[in-house]
Amino acid sequence: MLQGTLDMLVLKALQLEPMHGWGITERIEQWSEEVLQLGQGSLYPALYRMERQDFIRSEWRVTDNNRRARYYSLTARGRRYLNESLAQWRRMSRAINLVLDVTTVN
Amino acid sequence: MGALADGLRRLRSLVWRRRLEDGLDDEIRFHVEQQTEKNQRAGMTPDEARRQALIRFGGVEQVRERTRDEFRAAPIENLARDVRYGLRSLRRHPGFTAMAVLSLAVGIGANAAIFGVAHALLFRQSPLADPDTLVNIYEAESAGQFNPMSYPNIEDLRRGTTQVFSGIAASAICVAQIDHGGTGATVMGEAVTGGAFALLGVAPQLGRAIQPEDDVARGGHPVVMLSHGYWQRAFGGDPRVVGRTLQMGRRGYTIIGVAPADYRGGLPAVTPAFFVPMTMLDELMGIEMLDRRFNHSMLVKARLAPGVARVQAAHAASLVAASLTSTRPEGWIPGEQFELVPTSDVQVVPGVDPLLRAAAWLLIAVVGLVLLLACTNLASFLVARAVDRGQEIAVRRALGASRGALARQVLVESALLGLGGAAAGLLLALALLQLLLSIDLPLPYGLRLDVAFGLGWRTLFDWRVLAFTAGAGMMAGVFLGLVPAVHGTRADLGSALKAGSKGSDAPGPLRWRNAMVVAQIAMSLVLLVGAGLFLRSWQQTLAVDPGFGRAPTAILSVIMPVARTAPDAAVPRTRRLLERFRALPGATAVGLIWPLPLELSSSDTGFTIDGRQPPAGRETFRASRATVDGGFFDAAGMTILAGRTFDDRDGRDSQPVAIISQAMARRYWPDGDALGRILRRPDPGEADLMIVGVVSDVTVRSLGEAPRDVVYQSYTQGQPLPGASFVVRTAGDPARMSLALLGAGQQVDPDLRVLQTMTMAQHLAAARLPSQIGAFLLAAFAVLGVALAAIGVYGTVRYTVAMRTREVGIRMALGADAAGVARLLASRGLRLVLVGGAIGVVASLLAARLLASLLFGVGTFDPVALAGAPLVLGAAAWLAAYLPARRASRANPLAALRAD
Repeated sequence: MLQGTLDMLVLKALQLEPMHGWGITERIEQWSEEVLQLGQGSLYPALYRMERQDFIRSEWRVTDNNRRARYYSLTARGRRYLNESLAQWRRMSRAINLVLDVTTVN
Repeated sequence: MGALADGLRRLRSLVWRRRLEDGLDDEIRFHVEQQTEKNQRAGMTPDEARRQALIRFGGVEQVRERTRDEFRAAPIENLARDVRYGLRSLRRHPGFTAMAVLSLAVGIGANAAIFGVAHALLFRQSPLADPDTLVNIYEAESAGQFNPMSYPNIEDLRRGTTQVFSGIAASAICVAQIDHGGTGATVMGEAVTGGAFALLGVAPQLGRAIQPEDDVARGGHPVVMLSHGYWQRAFGGDPRVVGRTLQMGRRGYTIIGVAPADYRGGLPAVTPAFFVPMTMLDELMGIEMLDRRFNHSMLVKARLAPGVARVQAAHAASLVAASLTSTRPEGWIPGEQFELVPTSDVQVVPGVDPLLRAAAWLLIAVVGLVLLLACTNLASFLVARAVDRGQEIAVRRALGASRGALARQVLVESALLGLGGAAAGLLLALALLQLLLSIDLPLPYGLRLDVAFGLGWRTLFDWRVLAFTAGAGMMAGVFLGLVPAVHGTRADLGSALKAGSKGSDAPGPLRWRNAMVVAQIAMSLVLLVGAGLFLRSWQQTLAVDPGFGRAPTAILSVIMPVARTAPDAAVPRTRRLLERFRALPGATAVGLIWPLPLELSSSDTGFTIDGRQPPAGRETFRASRATVDGGFFDAAGMTILAGRTFDDRDGRDSQPVAIISQAMARRYWPDGDALGRILRRPDPGEADLMIVGVVSDVTVRSLGEAPRDVVYQSYTQGQPLPGASFVVRTAGDPARMSLALLGAGQQVDPDLRVLQTMTMAQHLAAARLPSQIGAFLLAAFAVLGVALAAIGVYGTVRYTVAMRTREVGIRMALGADAAGVARLLASRGLRLVLVGGAIGVVASLLAARLLASLLFGVGTFDPVALAGAPLVLGAAAWLAAYLPARRASRANPLAALRAD
């Protein structure tokens, strides 16, 4: 997966509510109809990095079935970063699509 | 955001690292368990489910490691490691470390001390509100003069400039006999106009300031404001001091407040002890100062009215001067002008400032040179170390350390040295300042330079000085570390590894080192020549014959309160004092003069001579003026060259007479027929004088000046004297005589206000003070510079010796004699000294020209200084080069051969 894309997906997953790492994997798999399977090898480094960059913050909470888990949530800075990334992504993918569409017509 | 915030976060994560790591393990466990449960729900066996979960997770250890990398505060951790490593390696080489830190400490210490003093004395401004709209006003008889003003002139100026100035503040230095705590002392203070504090925007730190209501009626406001320094010295900073009474002269003054610590009065560098209203000046001093237009003793500041430019104000002031010239009130010198100078451009007095600035810059340049010398020492040490460590660095690079990491390491080490040097330098600066302040300068009136007291060390070591010191240290360290950091880590791996031991020939760094030694020698030679010039200049001032006071002589300076109602009482009173002094045992000759030559104040007079035309644009000739008694010339060791001295013939009702200086007689009557001539004096209140004598020349204002025209008058004729300096030549101890004068004077005249007692030697020492200070400071720094250069030469020779240990061993084994080997080893260092010396001589010739304005009686091409300095330096360098060489040549050849 493209560097930066992972960050965007993780932030997007956190947009609605705080979640733990496992939940983020599940949410992304679910949303992508099982197409995107996050390598956890990259998820946790990314989470820690983004926390350091102040895009997300974390706290320990108790889950529904009474387990202790670290929940991540978006910071204002993270939210801003997500919006920028999304806009950027949309511009990019639109541009790519345009190119691809042209090719198809020919 | 950016680097700083990121660094802070990293720092935080460094602190919380352990907890985070624990958390990471928990988090990974939780994740794997969740996945396991999911797998189980999908129908796997528990074991299979866990195995699949772990596979899916992709290597717990790797994830942990990679995650750790993410939150590890890498740069800070690396820095901490570099610092630890650096400290360890510096500890391993204590000799090197001590030399480097000491060198830097000397350089930085000297800089911090001088910077502190210069800052405190010269560059610190008083805390005046809105200084941009303030101007200093002076009187000038001709361009380039900046004389204090007289009170009547200030009043006229004030009346004529209400449109351009929103206010004018004047201050006059005064002295008062203060009885406090059972002892009396003559203390210097300032009389200020009532609006001064408000106009300047200076608010008291305690009580209230002097106000316009305190400055209305002559002698009607016995109130006093203390300066911070005097409040601390005399009252221990007691906050209940307001409302108490201070006995000043014969009157008790109520203390109304304390000025702020950073207000230094009208004349910076010498902070007055107290402030009294201007209307109290005459009463306090016992003389008339306020009503005399020719008494120029007021320092004036004015605030420009809103929207008024300085040129407009200057124009308005020039109109006042023109109208005074046309109405010619008594004491106004026709053609005089008012000079306006922006207050923020003035350090002390515009006339003196350029010299002070030149002196300050010279000192700063000198200590800068010392710092540079120290830095080159450090740099050459670092280069040597880098070469020594060539192999270590090659090994570490071979093992995969990046060049950047190694360079950073070297830089951290040199920065540590720099900081160590800065810290040690600060301590040294403190010690140096203590020393400087403890020196008892022979200043008149018990004046003390306003360097530290009052504000204490805070003034000297305010943040600027601290920042300067720390900055200098860090800069020195990092800059100097750059060379070895770049050089040392570039070394070609293969050859460095193969080269093996210290024997590696590293021409680059060595060339660097040699260049530094050459530079050091050159710089210290410049310092030495400079010091030599100043020492010679000081020697010259010692050799100058001031024309008076060669024999042991005591001086008692007093103010003579004159009752307005009985001006005739002054002369008998003075005569009584003279007679009493003549009766003192040990008094060989007794006289009086006012003002004393080479004193702060001087006086002059205008005159015309029949048949001679005054210079163009002038109505009179001008000459210095002094009032004496007939015995003065003898007491001061001056010679009557023609005619007679004053005697009983010269009374109030007889022909007013004058004695003139030899220079004046030569100028106006070169044929030697001055006696009997008349000096006509058009100034109102000044009688025409008949010349009855010619006396030998003295220096009046400064040592070494060209002989001046001086008109001496008798105290028995003309205006009553405002003060007098009694001069008593003695066969005994002049210091004891001056005390005897004090006792006898107070016995005869209990009203006598003593300014100071001193010996003639002390008086002349004060006049020589500037050149003496310059000579000694420069000499001290030159010695420092030579020591630093010697350390540099020593280090270089020792280093080359160490590199050639094996060669020396072989030579010795083959039968070379020790002396020859020592010469061989030392010769390289000495060659560098020669090159550096040659450059230094040329540089000092150039530098000497810049010193011309500060030197006295010495040409900038002074053979003594130019020959002496290289000799001193050569001797020091020879020692520094020869000692390590000789030691090496005495080493056991076998041990030398075996050395790695």
